Amino acid sequence: MNLRYYLMRRIFLIIPTLIGLSVLTFSIARLVPGDPVGLAAGPQATPEIRETFRRNFGLDKPLPVQYLTYMQGIFRGDFGESLYSRRDVFEDLKRFFPATFELTVMAIFIATVLGVPAGVVSAMYRNRIPDHISRVISLFFVSFPAFWLAMIFQTVLGRELGLVPIGRRFSIVEAPPNTVSGLYILDSIIARDLDSLWLSLRHIFVPALVLSFSALASITRITRASMIETLEKDFVRMERAIGIPYQLIITKYVLRNAFIATLTVISLNFGWLMAGAVLIETIFDWPGLGLYAVESSLSLDFQPIMGITIIYGVVFSTINIITDMLYGVLDPRIRYG
Amino acid sequence: MSDNLLDIQNLHLEFHTYDGVAKVLAGVDLTVRRGDVVGLVGETGCGKSMTALAVPRLIPMPPGKITAGQVLFNGEDLLAKPDDAMEQFRAQHLGMIFQDPTTNLNPLFTIREQLVDAVLYQRANDQRVPGRWLGWLPSAKQMRKEAYDRAVELMRLVGIPDGDKRIHEYPHQFSGGMRQRVLIAMALAGEPDLLIADEPTTALDVTIQAQILRLIKSLVKQFNLTVLLITHNLGVVAKTCETVAVMYAGRVIEKAPVRELFKNPQHPYTQGLINAVPTKYTQRGGLEGIPGLIPNLIDAPPGCRFHPRCPHVMDVCREVVPGEFWIAGEHSVYCHLYGDEA
Repeated sequence: MNLRYYLMRRIFLIIPTLIGLSVLTFSIARLVPGDPVGLAAGPQATPEIRETFRRNFGLDKPLPVQYLTYMQGIFRGDFGESLYSRRDVFEDLKRFFPATFELTVMAIFIATVLGVPAGVVSAMYRNRIPDHISRVISLFFVSFPAFWLAMIFQTVLGRELGLVPIGRRFSIVEAPPNTVSGLYILDSIIARDLDSLWLSLRHIFVPALVLSFSALASITRITRASMIETLEKDFVRMERAIGIPYQLIITKYVLRNAFIATLTVISLNFGWLMAGAVLIETIFDWPGLGLYAVESSLSLDFQPIMGITIIYGVVFSTINIITDMLYGVLDPRIRYG
Repeated sequence: MSDNLLDIQNLHLEFHTYDGVAKVLAGVDLTVRRGDVVGLVGETGCGKSMTALAVPRLIPMPPGKITAGQVLFNGEDLLAKPDDAMEQFRAQHLGMIFQDPTTNLNPLFTIREQLVDAVLYQRANDQRVPGRWLGWLPSAKQMRKEAYDRAVELMRLVGIPDGDKRIHEYPHQFSGGMRQRVLIAMALAGEPDLLIADEPTTALDVTIQAQILRLIKSLVKQFNLTVLLITHNLGVVAKTCETVAVMYAGRVIEKAPVRELFKNPQHPYTQGLINAVPTKYTQRGGLEGIPGLIPNLIDAPPGCRFHPRCPHVMDVCREVVPGEFWIAGEHSVYCHLYGDEA
């Protein structure tokens, strides 16, 4: 059918996107002032040592050649190794990416589960008390710097009340669930290990909650605006006129119309949260990609930077495709072709 | 029980706007007898639709505000009903169809989804519809099944061919006329006592208009419906209605059986309206309009609101709102020309 053709085309189109992205990142990473070799080899390195370094990493060749060599490696699954730690970048990504991904998914989940009902209630009680409460709360959380809120939550919930761990993905003493996806929650479910599941959830809850705040605010606001807009539509008046209960109109007929706009915001936020997770990761000692990315950028360690960028690129493109497919699920008038 | 199914008395409606208070309805009197098809005519902005929407209480408030009057349905004042009782009332006693069939159906749901809900919730109150999260209950499934069968039956009643198949389609797969039929089916799902049709044919082209009017007429007989038909089209009134009320600037100004009104219009405005309808005898360029414009309702003329445009204006018209004067039988007019003052 058309849908399969459309999906194939979209997936195929990720490739040029990623090539463009990689050229750009490669150029920027290699053209910024500063010498990665100098940083990696250390201040005491002699010119000879640096030269050896350079040759070992192929940095003496012209940039286009370097780029092509790098890309060849990627198609074999070889993302190179870090100049700094000499670790295999692919192994690092495999280790760090699931942590960030899990955190982001959880944050988006929290933001949606809290934000959509808040937006709906706001719209139903527009400019009345519930609406004001939801407005103030979302403004409150979006206005405070996330790292500050993170520390407050960490101190109050973690240290003072002892309700949750103050950081990390998992208990230090116990072994994490068997790695299948690297997502601890999913792995615990696959392993049917309730203790691990509980531990993972306890660890992820506060970081994900804090991370979700900015998205929560925008999801609430857009849901409210979109609900209000939909409530003005003729079909709502018709549904009321013939006696469909108002509650059903809201939760079934209006929400679906309004959710299309919300979906856009959710998918945009997914990208932002993933890129912005670094602050939260630092505070909660969350072994994720954000921390890895910052460290690599500071040391101009371009191999990890490339790898991270490409992973982000793949995730963004996939989210975009999924979002576009979901539009079609929500709105029957959308046809792919 | 009184003969009048619907009795609107002295209804006043205001809209609070940035420019001031618009007195959209200024004392509307209108009665609809059981079994009657009553036409409500008037030009754009005269308050026809607002009168129609005031019955199911669907006027957004604020900015709207009903300042006086009563809407009696079977003798019970709808304006005094609490909101949830009003929801019940709309489901059980009222059907309504609107002007634009493209915007009045929800685009994201199949006809089946919308029509089945209409059937389910317009049932009499003796059976509560289980909540959405209880849809798996056998009783809920049974109710849905029955509602679905009824929905297919309704599709047939309103003349949609292959209703049992087309019910699974989305509104955008239907033509305008077919969509209006679906809306009629939804309005009639609970066999309402009163059907309010707010310009049901205005957005349709002329051949489809005729079909829809014929459909409404046949359904009126079949369901023993009472209809309030709002339109600005005198031709539609002549074809469909038994009695007519003419509105001007927020007031009903003349009420009569339909033949009587066309033969013997009394209010200068009605006379002007009927003169403005072209007939086969109308000469080129010979069509007569009513001079002047409809008044601004924020600063409406005192007395009779038609007086600035009226060819027979008298002093009393500028000061006193005319009451109802009876011409003959059921023909009445709100005009000082027929009062004692003249």
